[in-house]
Amino acid sequence: MSNHTTHSEEPAKRHKHEGPKKHIIAYVFSMLLTLVAFATVIGGEINTSFIYILLIIMAIMQVIIQMGFWMHMKDRGHLFPIVGILTGVFVVFTIVIMAEFWTWW
Amino acid sequence: MSAHSHLDGKLPHEPERATLEGRNKVLGFWLFLGGETVLFGTLFSAFLALRDQVGDGNPTSQELFKLATVAIATVILLTSSLTSVFAIQAMHRGQVKAMQNWLIVTVVLGLAFLGLEVYEFIEYTHEGHQFSTSAFSSSFYTLVGFHGAHVALGVVWISLLIGQVYRKGLTVVTAPKVYVAGMYWHFIDVVWVFIFTVVYLMGKVG
Repeated sequence: MSNHTTHSEEPAKRHKHEGPKKHIIAYVFSMLLTLVAFATVIGGEINTSFIYILLIIMAIMQVIIQMGFWMHMKDRGHLFPIVGILTGVFVVFTIVIMAEFWTWW
Repeated sequence: MSAHSHLDGKLPHEPERATLEGRNKVLGFWLFLGGETVLFGTLFSAFLALRDQVGDGNPTSQELFKLATVAIATVILLTSSLTSVFAIQAMHRGQVKAMQNWLIVTVVLGLAFLGLEVYEFIEYTHEGHQFSTSAFSSSFYTLVGFHGAHVALGVVWISLLIGQVYRKGLTVVTAPKVYVAGMYWHFIDVVWVFIFTVVYLMGKVG
């Protein structure tokens, strides 16, 4: 990490800087997921609960792309953020289910 | 640009993690995002519970939503997420100018998104879908409006950071701020993914 050679003139090739390629692939994937999601709804005459499940799965995949690649969660040293966010997600699911059931059952 | 004076080989590889304060800022920001998750979770649960409570003669989500606008807004926001990644990558390479430019692109895309959202809300209002029309409309505007407010805050925040980096250069003090703003922007995008899925697409399906 801290091996620092001359950084100024040549654009530091010997560091392991990640290129944009991986992120462009992630971007293309999230675009495809978005496209599929909209297409299922616009062109869809499949049954509703199937579409719901499909949409939720695609949303979760998008989040994995965003948080894993773009918020660097897949990099090492991110255990604490992952635990924190998962706790938040757990609370949210509890709230959503509770609100749904408390309001209408 | 004055910023270049800091780049004479002195800035570490990941300047946002170079100091304890920087690392603490990133960690603290994750905790904040956990709280934000819960905030949006409660708004989502309110919306999900109330989205069919339209009342007599008021527009339903199927009648109201125009997916074209939402699709364009989604593309804009996803693209801005990519440009903010490019900004952080440029920062890691020590290219301050490129970082600034990518941040400007991000801000412009954020403004475009906001413009679309304002246009959309005005349309809905004209179609009789106002804040107090029904439980559906109240929970809709609260959820989507809260997200829009977050985008607006992000736009202001990143704009101020661009100014600060321009004046003070990229240092171990300013780098964590830019990094954290990038995280915030991705989080806004994550929330939007759920909004377009749960609010718009599921609303259109019925």
